[in-house]
Amino acid sequence: MKWLETDDVVRFNEVDEWGIAWHGHYMAWFEVGRMALLRRFDLLPRQMVELGVIAPVIRLKCDFKHPAVCGDSIIVRTTVIKPEIAALTFKFEVLLKENQRLLAQGETTQVFLTTSKKMIYRISGELAKRIDTLIRYCQKE
Amino acid sequence: MEEIINSNGKLCEFLKKMIIDTLRLEDITPGDIENEASLFKDGLGLDSIDALELVVAIEKIFNIIIEDEDVGKKAFASVNALAVFIQDGYQRALKN
Repeated sequence: MKWLETDDVVRFNEVDEWGIAWHGHYMAWFEVGRMALLRRFDLLPRQMVELGVIAPVIRLKCDFKHPAVCGDSIIVRTTVIKPEIAALTFKFEVLLKENQRLLAQGETTQVFLTTSKKMIYRISGELAKRIDTLIRYCQKE
Repeated sequence: MEEIINSNGKLCEFLKKMIIDTLRLEDITPGDIENEASLFKDGLGLDSIDALELVVAIEKIFNIIIEDEDVGKKAFASVNALAVFIQDGYQRALKN
């Protein structure tokens, strides 16, 4: 499985009163990874809208393994798996850059709706083509 | 399978078991599901993500495609509606 890596730094406004990264910010870091991957395959939110679809997240999981602190350089690793249903599942890992220590790992699942908010049961056409290319990229060793 | 599809009663029982197995519904037996009760909301309480899983199961088992929510709303109205939808799809496939 191939993971796309993006770098980030834990900012002052992302840590809590105890000096560690607040758990909700990991979702924002996941988003950085997700957008970097989607950008490569012309699947950014506005590009999905051009294809007549939106893709809301319907499931989010995250396991926190080790706390990050302000100033930590982190790596967000992102990949995609294709569930059997008409959806996309992203997997994420957040690592400490200096020693590759795993800080958190998570997963989100998105379904597809038409821009008029009707659920798509089967992905087809140009959207399917772009998603297939994305999946093939992520399946590479 | 043809024998099941041609009998509304057998098909309804088959579909109830398929729904329970596909969605891994615990504590529900086929006898708990009424043929005319809604599969969503006030009936069996399924949601739109459950519908996506049922679409895959139906395509695998019956080779019948449910394209989108518009078609799904009719097909998933009840077990009986789903049985009729599958029977219609099967008849159409035979003609083509």
